[in-house]
Amino acid sequence: MPRLRLEGVCKRYGATVALGRGDLSLMPGEVHVLMGSNGSGKSTLSKIIAGSVRPDEGVIECDGSIVTIPSPRAARDLGIAVFYQELSLAAHRSVVENICLPGLGHARGLFRNRAEMTAAAEPFIEPFESVLGEGFGLDVPVGRLRADQRQLVEIMKTLAARPDILIFDEPTSALDRAQVECFMAVLRKLKADGKSIIFISHRMDEIFEIGDRVTIIRDGETVRTSVLADTTMEEILRTMTGEEATGPAAPAVSAAVKTPQRPTVKLKVSNLVAPGVNNVSFEVAAGEILGFGGLHGQGQSAALRALFGAAQSRSGDIEVGTTRLTGNSPRASIRNGLAYVSGDRARDGVIEGRSILENTVPIYALKNHLFVASPRSLGAKAQQALEQLQTKYQTLFHPINSLSGGNQQKVVVSRWLMAPPEVMLLDDPTKGIDIASKAELFRVLRELAAAGMAILLYSSEDAELLENSDRVLVFNNGRTVRELVGDERTRYHLYHAAYEAA
Amino acid sequence: MSLPSHAMPHQRSVFERFPFIPALGILAVLLLLNGIAEPNSMSFGAITGLTKTYLALMFLAVAQSLVVFSSDIDLSVGAILSLVNVVVVVLIERLGGGADAVLLSCLVGVLVGTLAGVFNGFVVVGLRLQPIVATFATGIVFTGLALWVLPVAGMPVPQSFWRTYGGRICDIPFVFYVVAALGLLIWLTVRTKYIIQLMAVGDNRLAAYQSGLPVTRIRIKAFALCGMLSAVAALCIIGDTASGDPVVGNAMTLYSVAAVVLGGTALSGGSGSMLGSAIGALIIGLINSFVFFAGVSSEWQNFAQGVAVLVALMAGVLITRRISK
Ligand SMILES: Nc1ncnc2c1ncn2[C@@H]1O[C@H](COP(=O)(O)OP(=O)(O)OP(=O)(O)O)[C@@H](O)[C@H]1O
Ligand SMILES: [Mg+2]
Repeated sequence: MPRLRLEGVCKRYGATVALGRGDLSLMPGEVHVLMGSNGSGKSTLSKIIAGSVRPDEGVIECDGSIVTIPSPRAARDLGIAVFYQELSLAAHRSVVENICLPGLGHARGLFRNRAEMTAAAEPFIEPFESVLGEGFGLDVPVGRLRADQRQLVEIMKTLAARPDILIFDEPTSALDRAQVECFMAVLRKLKADGKSIIFISHRMDEIFEIGDRVTIIRDGETVRTSVLADTTMEEILRTMTGEEATGPAAPAVSAAVKTPQRPTVKLKVSNLVAPGVNNVSFEVAAGEILGFGGLHGQGQSAALRALFGAAQSRSGDIEVGTTRLTGNSPRASIRNGLAYVSGDRARDGVIEGRSILENTVPIYALKNHLFVASPRSLGAKAQQALEQLQTKYQTLFHPINSLSGGNQQKVVVSRWLMAPPEVMLLDDPTKGIDIASKAELFRVLRELAAAGMAILLYSSEDAELLENSDRVLVFNNGRTVRELVGDERTRYHLYHAAYEAA
Repeated sequence: MSLPSHAMPHQRSVFERFPFIPALGILAVLLLLNGIAEPNSMSFGAITGLTKTYLALMFLAVAQSLVVFSSDIDLSVGAILSLVNVVVVVLIERLGGGADAVLLSCLVGVLVGTLAGVFNGFVVVGLRLQPIVATFATGIVFTGLALWVLPVAGMPVPQSFWRTYGGRICDIPFVFYVVAALGLLIWLTVRTKYIIQLMAVGDNRLAAYQSGLPVTRIRIKAFALCGMLSAVAALCIIGDTASGDPVVGNAMTLYSVAAVVLGGTALSGGSGSMLGSAIGALIIGLINSFVFFAGVSSEWQNFAQGVAVLVALMAGVLITRRISK
């Protein structure tokens, strides 16, 4: 008997159909993968099971009996816990408080007991002990943690509810390989204990690594469920997109067009020192994509943020083209032709509560010194930029929060594509973006590079990094320890370089 | 192996743990300034007098901060104070003015304040109205009720009431016992599970809901507690003025908000300190007394007070920035 069964579950937001028909059966001891492109309804389905979104129609069965899940509390009572794609953490509360928060009301007594709470949280922190990274601590406010650390806290919080049914909505999108491995070990243990798990990810390798069955969801409808061992990546991709023709199966991105003659240096960084960055120097040529590799938090993001003027302090020489960069502020950097795309969209990207249009055009408006802008002319431009990445939205005037996670990220990326910079700093830019759009994004980036842009890329997903970079600089402890060029750009060399100094 | 230069503490910073530190600094500076302007203002008697006058604002600020923690706001606290003030005064009079009449009336007053808070909570949370306008409106309703209970200021309370409030027990002024009680209350409250939940709700309401917290109940409870503490503030006012006044608290509402901010609590919710709010109320009291002692002519006193509050707010921001760097 399935532990959880959905039949014909449906959710509409006005004219938008977020989920048209959700059918799913979840067995005990199973990792059930949910796959679909951005905006196909995965998170909506998760939130319906979580009780935080109420379905318009459909039947939910839990252990064979029909249930309604009117609130997250009710879901909790049914033994369901959810990792939310956009996280459910309180930024000012500590790690321990966040992990214990859902259970707080259930325990007896009026007063909190620090020691008890810490003891309750520790078993869930322990499996990740080796990959927590710098700055993590039981008593640290969650808002001060890195994106990947926050994701780990959300994982711990989900586990701490001791549920029977776990739903993970893109839990690994900011995690590096070492962190993913710890998480996989935890999942295997849960599976062995007979728990049921729904797992959502856009990373193919993880899905085949951990999944038992896969349900593919397309335009809000669950179109097929199959056993992962009997299926292939190509088949999944084909079902996801609904295209019968076998297009390019893996999102292969053509390698760099061999740069002609002597390339011009577009960005020259010498002796960059900033919080978390320890004397880093490198050059990037026009047309080149330089990858930053290594374990999380070894200075890759910090270096990108420092270049963009978002760090508190910075020293060293930065030359964009032939001009020396002065002034340590994002404003100055933008003026000098830099752009910064962050995967931590909630913190650095999305302008909460404003429309999609307002979220797409600010850089374009800044660069073109627009004082008065007509939504119509801007709208046409924005639309073009958004469509390039197949962003799924209803109208430009809908609030940004009405978009799915991946589509919000596409808006953040489009913002910079509307007014292409000289140097693009990409800090885990594809967080939450599906495979097809990712390929399209890198195709666009290659085009822009070919037109003379220099690109710095950091990605928490190794495959993405290796596939798209012409060279990879491996970071360790704030320094660059190796450069991988040509045939060295393999997982083996990357891991080797990342771990050797650690 | 060299540590990266930004080796972050694995702990909360001092300032994150004690957000009222800047307020304490400002308080110290103001005490000094008062002492310089008028040495007598630092005498025991003068301090007692100041506490007596601003105790109500301290309670009101602490009340306000609870609502602010959950990223709401209550613009009716002053009106609740006025309403409780007249209810208690009239009730004491009707019941004959004996000691038990006073006690009973005070209890009824606290109950009225709590009910007013619950009403606010219901209006804001239940009907999903914007707290800033909804409590503005309920405040007018409460003022209307207060004017119905006692149309004009007056009606003295029995001597025993204000004698106690202004008197001493074991040679220590009564108000300091009340301050100690307020301190204990704060000490206990910050150790409850409820305050963690309340802060989480203020931090990110959707996230708190998704975590399974009873967000509605938590927010209404904050309004109820706010109403209750506003009622206690009303009792302090009665002790200080010894009579009923249907609009006595109305001007205090925004002072309470200012005190909350001065105390290091963000109006956006999710973090802050109740102790800071109490200190913020004292800061406002000291500013007013300083302006008086500095010999500012009466027509310029409001102007000077306003400017001084602005300066204190800016100082708070600057100190906070310094410390968190
Ligand atoms: N609150 C909302 N209001 C309006 N539309 C919404 C809302 N939430 C989701 N939608 C729409 O429903 C559709 C499905 O969204 P959902 O978040 O479930 O996608 P997803 O499969 O999780 O995508 P992603 O991979 O990008 O996370 C999207 O088109 C989205 O715009
Ligand atoms: Mg999603």
